[in-house]
Amino acid sequence: MTDTDFQAAYAAHKDVLFRFAWRMTGSPAAAEDLVHDCFIAFLRNPAAFDRDRGTLRSFLLGVTRNLALKRARRERPFRDLDDGSAVAPAIDIANRERAAIVAEGIALLPPLQRDVLILAEYEELTLDEICRAVDAELPAVKSRLHRARENLKRMLRPLLETKGLPHGR
Amino acid sequence: MDDDKKLSDLLKEWQLPGTPASLDARVFGPRTPWWKLLFIGSIRIPVPVALAIAAALIVMAVALIHRPAPPQSSTSVDLAGFHPVTDMNYRIIRGDE
Repeated sequence: MTDTDFQAAYAAHKDVLFRFAWRMTGSPAAAEDLVHDCFIAFLRNPAAFDRDRGTLRSFLLGVTRNLALKRARRERPFRDLDDGSAVAPAIDIANRERAAIVAEGIALLPPLQRDVLILAEYEELTLDEICRAVDAELPAVKSRLHRARENLKRMLRPLLETKGLPHGR
Repeated sequence: MDDDKKLSDLLKEWQLPGTPASLDARVFGPRTPWWKLLFIGSIRIPVPVALAIAAALIVMAVALIHRPAPPQSSTSVDLAGFHPVTDMNYRIIRGDE
């Protein structure tokens, strides 16, 4: 990989990776660290990307996602990454902006539900691309996505039932 | 299905900005002028190459130390065996002769 190739890849994917990492971690500073580490890893070992297995965007999202999960395990070693039985409580929406409430709802999802939801809803990846990015089979991805949406509907029910709250944008 | 659409629309309300400039600087590093590299630059050398260069320098140093000194050229005159003349005849030649 030449310097030009690397610069082109960085310019094309940095924003997608940064937003994904921010939504995964809830922190712009942590997102910057993750995207930096992702591109440095790619620069050191570009052969890890196999063009036959998917797009570069899926590959880089997968690297960033793995780094984010590693960080989550380090910070909260006893939290289950995919607690399917967890029922998220409704969020208190009083006097808060809708975007902040949505951010809190996503942060409350288990990490393995959060990543597939972000990739599907915000980055609009296809199910195949999500499977490659999270290195999981299609049924598992569909199941996690379904649970993530159900959890979010439960948490955000007050916002879904009422349109245009006073603090909405 | 309708709920999924409502949820998607609601999620889209959380939008984020792009990457900060500080990330570019961290990934690519500050640009260093070429002349500064002469003072602060470094190069990576494989260990076998470094050992070969070190061995060559040691051999050259040893060879220089043990090189035989060249014969010294002397400007002094050896007077051993010099005898002054015993009978000296000299003749004065004038310019008009």
